[in-house]
Amino acid sequence: MNKLESIEFFEKFKHGTELFLQSPDFSVGTTPAEIVYTEDKMKLIHYIPTVKKPYPVPILVVYALVNRYYILDLQPDKSVMKKLLDNGFDVYIIDWGYPSGISKYLTIDDHVNGYINNAVDKIRERSGVDKITLLGVCQGGTFSVMYAALNPEKVKNLITLVTPVNFDTDKGLLHIWAKSLDVDKIVDYYGIVPGDILNAGFLLTDPFRLMIDKYVGLIDRIECEPNDTACQSRNEETVKNFLRMEKWIFDSPDQPGETLRQFVKDCYQNNLLIKNKMVLDGKKINLKKISMPLLNVMAEFDHLVPNDASKPLNDAVSSSDEETLVFHTGHIGIFVGSKSQREVCPKIAEWLKPRSLFAEAGKEKPVSAKSREQKRTTTQGEHNNET
Amino acid sequence: MEKSGSENTQEFFNLWLKIYEDTFGKLVAMPTLGPTREKSEKMMKGFSTFVNLYTAWMKSNINSQSVFMEAMHNMSEKTTTEMDGENSPEKYRDFYRIWIETYSETFKEFLKSDNYASDNGKLMSYFMDFQKYTRDILEENYLKPMNLPTRTEIDEINKELYSLKKIVKELTKQIKETSEKTNTSVEKPHE
Repeated sequence: MNKLESIEFFEKFKHGTELFLQSPDFSVGTTPAEIVYTEDKMKLIHYIPTVKKPYPVPILVVYALVNRYYILDLQPDKSVMKKLLDNGFDVYIIDWGYPSGISKYLTIDDHVNGYINNAVDKIRERSGVDKITLLGVCQGGTFSVMYAALNPEKVKNLITLVTPVNFDTDKGLLHIWAKSLDVDKIVDYYGIVPGDILNAGFLLTDPFRLMIDKYVGLIDRIECEPNDTACQSRNEETVKNFLRMEKWIFDSPDQPGETLRQFVKDCYQNNLLIKNKMVLDGKKINLKKISMPLLNVMAEFDHLVPNDASKPLNDAVSSSDEETLVFHTGHIGIFVGSKSQREVCPKIAEWLKPRSLFAEAGKEKPVSAKSREQKRTTTQGEHNNET
Repeated sequence: MEKSGSENTQEFFNLWLKIYEDTFGKLVAMPTLGPTREKSEKMMKGFSTFVNLYTAWMKSNINSQSVFMEAMHNMSEKTTTEMDGENSPEKYRDFYRIWIETYSETFKEFLKSDNYASDNGKLMSYFMDFQKYTRDILEENYLKPMNLPTRTEIDEINKELYSLKKIVKELTKQIKETSEKTNTSVEKPHE
């Protein structure tokens, strides 16, 4: 390192430290919302519509149990929720909360046929509709697929975002590691499995970038001269945005043991879901029961849920109206990257709007076999490794 | 050829393990006698639980050491070729970029190997055995004699509560459905 560069680096480091010393005030999940239903630790959140007359078919977003739902509403200019609202949708989301001792016995069935089903019923009751749109994200997407297969009469459209359904792939480290995990011992010991253990696993997927490079990158982005106030204010925003993401990453709820046990064994180790062999409370999940319109959204550089884990869903269902969108981004970038706001949200909205008009359902254009084949997999945008 | 650091560590550890198994290991595996035999046997079992964990941890450490060395080797090759033969690069940024890329790539290969998955799975499993052993001993020798609640007892209550809650939810749902049906059939004649 030459002298000038080292001085420049330490100057930046000093500015960064000064910004942190000011204890920047940052908040997450700021889109106006109300809690409309609670059950145990679960809360059903309804975002206040931003248009006078939203589309009649409401959306229920189901996020994963790992990490918190507010990644979809991280900051006003990076909010999937706000984008959906501004596109005229009536949007709900499930907040799973932080499980405690009593939650350790909760199974996948309790989540799918219990909490999700009750949330769906609550929304149907409030909106006066028979069917809703289910938008599942990551593990929440897997739960949504299970729900849609077991309760197709309540689901008008199914959207899956970076959702694993085929777990027999060696493209993602989590898929490789889970095969050798003795989940029984972990669950038997902890009961409620600490979120930090899962977080350690996620960090290990790319340790140098996630534990070193990310922080070096932050210092690198603090670029101004000490007296440049406009630039200082940009720096403040950079730090706040970084802190929002940092908060989300390490705000990891513990996991209900029985749910984790079943998820690892039935999904990651035995891959039962895609084989139509998974059973919840005695009921076999048959993915062919999914006949509603399906939009399967993936991130090309997803290191946690590789495309091989998501793609097979389209062939496993019986929906005649199904589409796949692949964006050149990563697992997190699909929610918070600039592409998310610019491309992902508008594309989802564009797909969903004509399918959210119950009154005009008959006017929806039938998808021909030929155009279906052309439409099935669309890769979006230009190459840009945004993770 | 000179041995790498990880080979020396491996050799030393193998020797330590052999000596342990031939001496102290045999002693702690010996059946115990007398009124305290049950407790003593449980206590002694802790040694094998610990040795299993220690062995898995050492294996994991040795493997990581090898990968670090491989990454260092790759790094040295890259700095020689990509930085025009200069081993002490002028530009920190370039050096850092090469460092982060090389280490990330080398570790990525290691982390996706079946060996890593299997070793890490074993390490986690032995860690859980050890944690469980420690908790059992704590419950058995401290909490129970002091008449304090144990995790096992709290879990039993949690399980009971979970089952009761589930029944209450089911019954509430049935009552709601029945009352809705009743209301509908009562209201019908007035329609």
